[in-house]
Amino acid sequence: MEIRTLGMVGGGVMGRSIAEKVASSGIAVVLAEVSEPRARAAREELVASLDHELEKWGITLSEKKVILNRVRFVAGLEELAQADLVIETVNEDLEVKQDVMRRLGALCPPDRIFITNTGTLSITEIAAASGRPDRVIGMHFLHPVPRSPIVEIVRGVETSEQTYATALELARVLEKTPIGVSEYPGYVVTRAIVPFLNEAMYIVMEGVASAEDVDLALRLGFEFKLGPLEFADRVGLDTVMSWMEHLFRELGDVKYRPCPLLRKMVRAGHLGRKSGRGFFLYRGYERIRPVEGAR
Amino acid sequence: MKVLVLNCGSSSVKYQLIETTLEAIAANADRALAQGIVERIGSESASHTYRPEGRPRISAVSEILEHGAAIAEILRTLTDPASGVVEHSGAIEAVGHRVVHGGEAFARSVFMTPEVVRQIEECIELAPLHNPHNLRGFLAAKEILPGVPHVAVFDTAFHQTMPPHAFLYGLPYVLYKRHGIRRYGFHGTSHRFVAWRSEALLGRPRAETRLITCHLGNGASVCAVDRGRSVDTSMGFTPLEGLLMGTRCGDLDPALIFYVMHKEDLSEHQATTLLNKHSGLFGISGVSNDMAELLAEEAKGHERARLAVDLFCYRLRKYVAAYAGAMGGADAVILTGGIGENAAAVRERALTGLEFMGVRLDPGRNRDTVGREGEISAPGSPVNVLVIPTNEELLIARDTLRLVAAGAAAAT
Repeated sequence: MEIRTLGMVGGGVMGRSIAEKVASSGIAVVLAEVSEPRARAAREELVASLDHELEKWGITLSEKKVILNRVRFVAGLEELAQADLVIETVNEDLEVKQDVMRRLGALCPPDRIFITNTGTLSITEIAAASGRPDRVIGMHFLHPVPRSPIVEIVRGVETSEQTYATALELARVLEKTPIGVSEYPGYVVTRAIVPFLNEAMYIVMEGVASAEDVDLALRLGFEFKLGPLEFADRVGLDTVMSWMEHLFRELGDVKYRPCPLLRKMVRAGHLGRKSGRGFFLYRGYERIRPVEGAR
Repeated sequence: MKVLVLNCGSSSVKYQLIETTLEAIAANADRALAQGIVERIGSESASHTYRPEGRPRISAVSEILEHGAAIAEILRTLTDPASGVVEHSGAIEAVGHRVVHGGEAFARSVFMTPEVVRQIEECIELAPLHNPHNLRGFLAAKEILPGVPHVAVFDTAFHQTMPPHAFLYGLPYVLYKRHGIRRYGFHGTSHRFVAWRSEALLGRPRAETRLITCHLGNGASVCAVDRGRSVDTSMGFTPLEGLLMGTRCGDLDPALIFYVMHKEDLSEHQATTLLNKHSGLFGISGVSNDMAELLAEEAKGHERARLAVDLFCYRLRKYVAAYAGAMGGADAVILTGGIGENAAAVRERALTGLEFMGVRLDPGRNRDTVGREGEISAPGSPVNVLVIPTNEELLIARDTLRLVAAGAAAAT
């Protein structure tokens, strides 16, 4: 199947990141937000992240223009009826995702395939709302999508072989190595990373070491590119907390229970890089590093 | 014989239909009947620009989604009753394909056989940006023109005569054996074409001359051609090595890459893009990767434009002198490519200072030789300096004809 126009629902961090990769692969994107102002804001955020990548020499000015030219931000879902394929990237909340599926199901031709980007939720439950459960599949992309080489592909109980083949084809076009996973809370990557992030937060909360030192130790000790706390900041602490809550609820194991420090920070609006403050401080996309020798 | 020459990129197909015979090659009288380019393949607004010989250019925009459709569109245009140059596609007797990387498997042009296709596929790892598209173009063309011979002409083939002391890096030898880590060189078709053409202009057989050929375009490389054979060239494992280019950095200390990645917190992808797309003339000047624009900016007093041109000229001069050293002297320096053919100021700045090895330019001839063939050295200069516009498509057509003619001769 030829994918020429891809519809997207949701212009948040993941939505924009997926849109950037899809557009740079030569596919036109129509990205739907709930309102004109939200659509405009999402576009501005995409411009800012492309400017950051340009500053880091990751893309050229003409590549930036090509990407922006290929992504159209619209208010409302109506225009997605013409897309060859639709990906939703709305909040990690079953009811919200089911509502999107219900509306897409009513709007799009019956043969159209829907992809849900979730790291934890049940594809079967999400798919049920669409009225075409055989044509819904999960693709869990990792942030930042243009650089992350993998995607988890999750089949719901009724997902057809043809739908699975389409997801594999999209993964190929986007140059992602597909990891096939069974429907089970958290799949592979979210489930494995959550206890690690949680533990790092407990270490800080219990006063064993500063956030700075916890990240430094784990980065240098295990050759991670980012420490767990900076990673959580980049994902968004509210998102990380929603992963934990979901896994805790589904699996009941205390290792997934969100660290109280995380809850406190989310309540205070310290959501990580996107709010300028999480475990560390940020100015735009750049982390503000402590002055050398100040420690 | 009418040969269709195809050069397929990721979203483009450049082509020429060339009429050539063994006699025409000897007389340098082969003709391009038409040429053109299809761009933005994969979109609803793909553009096709076509120019039949001696007639005005025609442009059209349409939906062209893949290479096969582009080649079909090219054939439709070439055979169109109004604008075409042949009556039907049966008039096309062979197809020549540009292939960027032939690795160590190909030292000359060959017929596209299943085995050759397999070997080109093996080279994809070495040229991931080019070989897949070259192959896609071949497979599409083979489907549309199944009854004619298809020939692959490689950018790397000419440099396969380099000796190990020129093509190896000072790395553990096992890396060469395990992964083919060595210098391959590129632009081979262009270096080979101008070296061939110089024979007629110099009036001396290639077997007697030591040439330094400089292909100076947005990508740029120098080649030492000793008695007709490439013995060294400035591009290496990838086209990043050697001269300063439009957006590529050319030679640098590899240790600095890790240092910059650490200092600027760059990923591998960002570092690669930095070296390939943000460096060179563009990176130094901050203005443009285009030499003509830089010269214009320099004339207006732009300091970093001047610096970029200086770096370009200085590095070119070093390579020319180095290759004279490599061959124990040089009989001619040949300039080609957009900059080599047109930028007289760059030629003068790069080659001034090489009088010690016998290069003496004639300022008047240099100024007057723009976009055409000609000698720009002073009368009596021990080393001839020539400008020769390159024509890679023509060489691809000629290689195709020669293989087909030899095959026909062998069959009778």
